[in-house]
Order: sequence, then structure tokens, then C-alpha cells
Amino acid sequence: MNGDAPSLPAFRRMSFFDASRRVFDLSLGEMLWSRRTIFMALVVGGPVLLALIVKAVETFGMTPLRVDGQRVPGFGIFGVMIWWLFLRFIIPVLGVFYGTALMADEVEDKTLTYLFTRPIPRGAVLVGKFLAYLACTFLVVLPSVMIVYFLLVPLSGLASTFPSLLIDLGLIALGLAVYGGVFAFVGSFFKRPLVIGLIFAFGWEQVVMLLPGSTKQLTIAYYLQALVPHAMPSDGVTSILQGLFKENPPAYLCLFWLFAYLGGFLYLATRVVEKKEYILEQ
Amino acid sequence: MNALVHAEGVSKWYGQVSGLNNVTVSIPPGITGLLGPNGAGKSTFMKLMTGQLKPSQGKIRVLDEAIWGNPTIYSRIGFCPEQDAFYDRMTGLEWVTALVRLNGLNDAEADAAAKRAIDRVDLMEAANKKIGAYSKGMRQRIKLAQALVHDPQLLILDEPLTGMDPLMRRKTIRLIKDWARAGKHIIVSSHILHEIESMTSNILLINNGRIVAEGNVHQIRELIDTHPHTVYVRGENPRALARRFLAEDDVLSMKFEDDAVVIETARPDSFYARLTELAASGEAGRIDEVQSPDDNLQAVFKYLVKQ
Repeated sequence: MNGDAPSLPAFRRMSFFDASRRVFDLSLGEMLWSRRTIFMALVVGGPVLLALIVKAVETFGMTPLRVDGQRVPGFGIFGVMIWWLFLRFIIPVLGVFYGTALMADEVEDKTLTYLFTRPIPRGAVLVGKFLAYLACTFLVVLPSVMIVYFLLVPLSGLASTFPSLLIDLGLIALGLAVYGGVFAFVGSFFKRPLVIGLIFAFGWEQVVMLLPGSTKQLTIAYYLQALVPHAMPSDGVTSILQGLFKENPPAYLCLFWLFAYLGGFLYLATRVVEKKEYILEQ
Repeated sequence: MNALVHAEGVSKWYGQVSGLNNVTVSIPPGITGLLGPNGAGKSTFMKLMTGQLKPSQGKIRVLDEAIWGNPTIYSRIGFCPEQDAFYDRMTGLEWVTALVRLNGLNDAEADAAAKRAIDRVDLMEAANKKIGAYSKGMRQRIKLAQALVHDPQLLILDEPLTGMDPLMRRKTIRLIKDWARAGKHIIVSSHILHEIESMTSNILLINNGRIVAEGNVHQIRELIDTHPHTVYVRGENPRALARRFLAEDDVLSMKFEDDAVVIETARPDSFYARLTELAASGEAGRIDEVQSPDDNLQAVFKYLVKQ
């Protein structure tokens, strides 16, 4: 063992973004191969499985879905899946489970010490891990959406519906980012972030969307759903009520508020992480 | 430089529980040992001096700067925490490289610095193995490598020798002393006086969240010798180890636990010296781990508090 002190390049001050990027590099692999990713793969595997079943039913010459006696085309089924499975379930679920765990995982694994004793702002640790969350979810969720699309939409319909797929992909990416940002704040601020996150995503957002008035503007779903290129499916009382009170704010306003939510909550989350004391159990 | 660490009236509470109680101390340059039984407040004090915790009361300065909320100071500090926590899927080299990149080094510099640090802790042959496959001693060494990889002015080491075999302990102690000779400063905690004593005579004694003594503590040394000292030795052949020690007159008792032998000795110094020689010779097989339960020190602290 050699004890002579080595000569190293002096420490170089990094920008916040550069520090975040380096935390991203460190975190991506760990996040990608975690148990949470297996859970995510199972969740996004659901729509792929459904699409495979639909494809199989069609192959045998049967009609997979009829509404009022009319056959629903493949692209219509795809739209229903975007609404039901991705927007209303998968995106909020992934946002809650990943967003609230960004710092909690490091605390639970007791690896936060190594990141917090390096010459980078603590906020950069959160942002780096948030970027890793985005890369990780994009890598798993977006291909799943594309697989579902290519399974359901016949070749003849690809040209006319492809722009809509691109909008769906952009929307899902934006949804993952905004929910992730909001829940990153919830995760850094609250003691029981998962419970609060689930209440927000599946309690508050669902209930408020059924109510008339402007309260629904305090949800992410309100802006996200207004941007969906597919018609809202009528799948029961909830959808009928939502359809009844559905508003269509202009796209630029939706985008403005979604980015404002993302930026605002991510900024608040970094502020909390900068100030908060993390006590690791011995 | 005046003091490496200056704490003034520092207290830390975890809710109703006191972790550190009104500590005022200046730690001088060089090597300082922070000695105390488990739960004495060593780790709390180290977390405060590494800016992971904020004092509930009082002020703490490190290298003449405030530590809380001052990330740039970490370019001058290296910290080896007590907890056995890692990104297990990464190799040792990947992990140390990724961490030193957070000091602003570019990829080539980070890779070179990580290799150098891993070499310094004698772990080059396992650098490309996943940390999850490392033994306890190897994990301790890779933790040490990440602490010194950026050539810090001050190394803060929380129980760095835990789980190491005797030879690696000796090498690590030598590394720490060499580091100090090169003009660096080290604060090292342990619950084993002999470990600390082999590195420095400048000791801070901590118990129940208070500094109970500081300086060159020969009296403590003598007190330790009057108390039987228990050593847990895990190795390839515990029975051969027991046979070797049975003949020694300082060995008071002995018992077996799974693949280990637990020995009570009246003269810990000579016992540790013999154990290191035995490990080097390999006569009693490979020795994997040496531990000393903190009740040795606890007895001395009880005595001190009564004084």
C-alpha cells in the first residue's frame, strides 16, 4: 500500500448543470437495473399484452371491440389505451413511485453520504437523479407505446395516424416529467411521500376532474388530458361526468402550465434538498 | 492553520434524544483519534464536521470555513463513513471514478485518479469486480479509496479498520501515517484504543455525547490494560488459532463461535502483535476478520465517569 500523496489536478468548479449531469451518469445504471424498473416493465407490459391479445383476436377473424354494434378500428383501440392505461394510470403511478423515491432510495440505501460529501450543490444531486428517472422511464415507457401502436394500427393506417403517435409520445414524456417533478418535491418535503403521492394522483386529481368550476386547473391531468389527440372514451359514469365538465383550454396554455408545474416543483424540490438534514439510520 | 475543526458549544438532538451535548473543542493539525464506545456520539460528531448534519446549537468550522451548506469545501475533505453501503452493481473502479468525477475531474483524469487510489489501498486486482462481490475488508478499502481519491487536505475516517484482517489493518494504519507525513491531516474514529494508539497519541475521548478527555492519554492506556480485552478472530482454521494462543499466559479465556474464536486477553498489545505475526506467517491458516467488541472500552469509560 503506497502512502505517498498523489498530485492531482486541482478541483474544478462545475456549473449546476454539469454537476447534475455527472450525478445522472452515476445514477442511471443503478436506477435502470433496480427492482423498481422490473415493476415498471410489468406495468407497461400490461398494454403490450392487451395489444397482443387484440392482434390475436383479429388474426382469427374476430372483432376485438364493438361500440354500439360498430367495430372499433385499431387506432381507436390505441386511443382508448392511451387514455385508460397510460394517461390515467401508468404515468401517475410511475411519477409517484419514482419521483417520491429519488432521494428516499439514497437515504434508505445509506449511499447519500457519498453524494453529499462531494463539492457539488445538493440540489444538483436531485436534478441529476430526476434526469436519470426521465431517461429510465422514457427508455421503458415510450417503446411500450410504440409497440402497442404498431400492433394495433394496420399498415394501411400508419401514414395518417403517425403524427398522432408522435403527439402521444411527446405527451407521455411530458406527463412523466411533470408528475415526476411534482412528486420529487413531495418526496423531498413530506415524511410519508408515497401515501401523499398516491392520494394526490388517484384521489385529488380524479375527484377534482369530476367537479365543475376552476378547481380542476390545480391538477396536472386537466392540462395533460386537454392535449390528447384522441377522443375521450365513454367508459362509465366517471368518463361521462368528466366529459360533461371537460374544458378545452388552448394548447399553448396547457403547455405553459405544465412546464410551469415542472419548473416550479423541481425548483422547490432542490430548495428543500439544499436545506434539509438527512439522518441516516445507523 | 489554527485548528482543523473548531466546535463551539455544539449540541445535536434527534428529537428527544441527545447525540452530542455542548461540545467545545479544537482539533489540531496532524492525526487525531476520536475514541469512544458505540453510541458515544462519534458518528454524530463526524457527521457534523462533514456537514451532513446541522448543529441544533452552537457552531462548527472545518479548515477555517463554515461546513453546513458549503459544498466547495468538500474538494479539501475526504470522508469514509462507517456504514457498509454501496452501489453494489458497480465495480470498485466504476464507483470511485464516478465519485471523483463529482469533483470536476474529466473522464481521463477521474479514471487515472481512481486507479491510483485503488492501488493505494491494495485493491487493484479486484478493481473490475462488482462491489457486491467484495468481502467486508475489501468494502472497507474501496470506501477508503473514494475518500482519498481527490487528494484531500483532511481525511475524516469513521471506524475505517472495522472488518479488516490483521495484515490489511497494518497496511491501512501505515497508509494513514504516511498520509499524515505527507502533510495531510486525519481525524479517525474507533472504539478500539490500540487501533487509535498505533496511529497517534493525540486522542479525543467521547462518551454519552460529551468529550470526556483530550490530549495524550497515557492514563487511559494504563486503565485499558487493567481490564480484560475481548478479541473476536474469524479465520479459516479457528481451532489452529486457538491452539497457538492457548499456551500464552496473557490469554484468560477462549470460546468458539461458528468459524471464529473469541479470546479474552490481559495484554492486548502483545496479543495484537502476535496475531499480526501469525497472520503474516499463515501458520494458523487465513485470518479473515478481527473485531473487538466495545465493551472493553465501555468498562473503562464507566470507571472514568465515576472518577
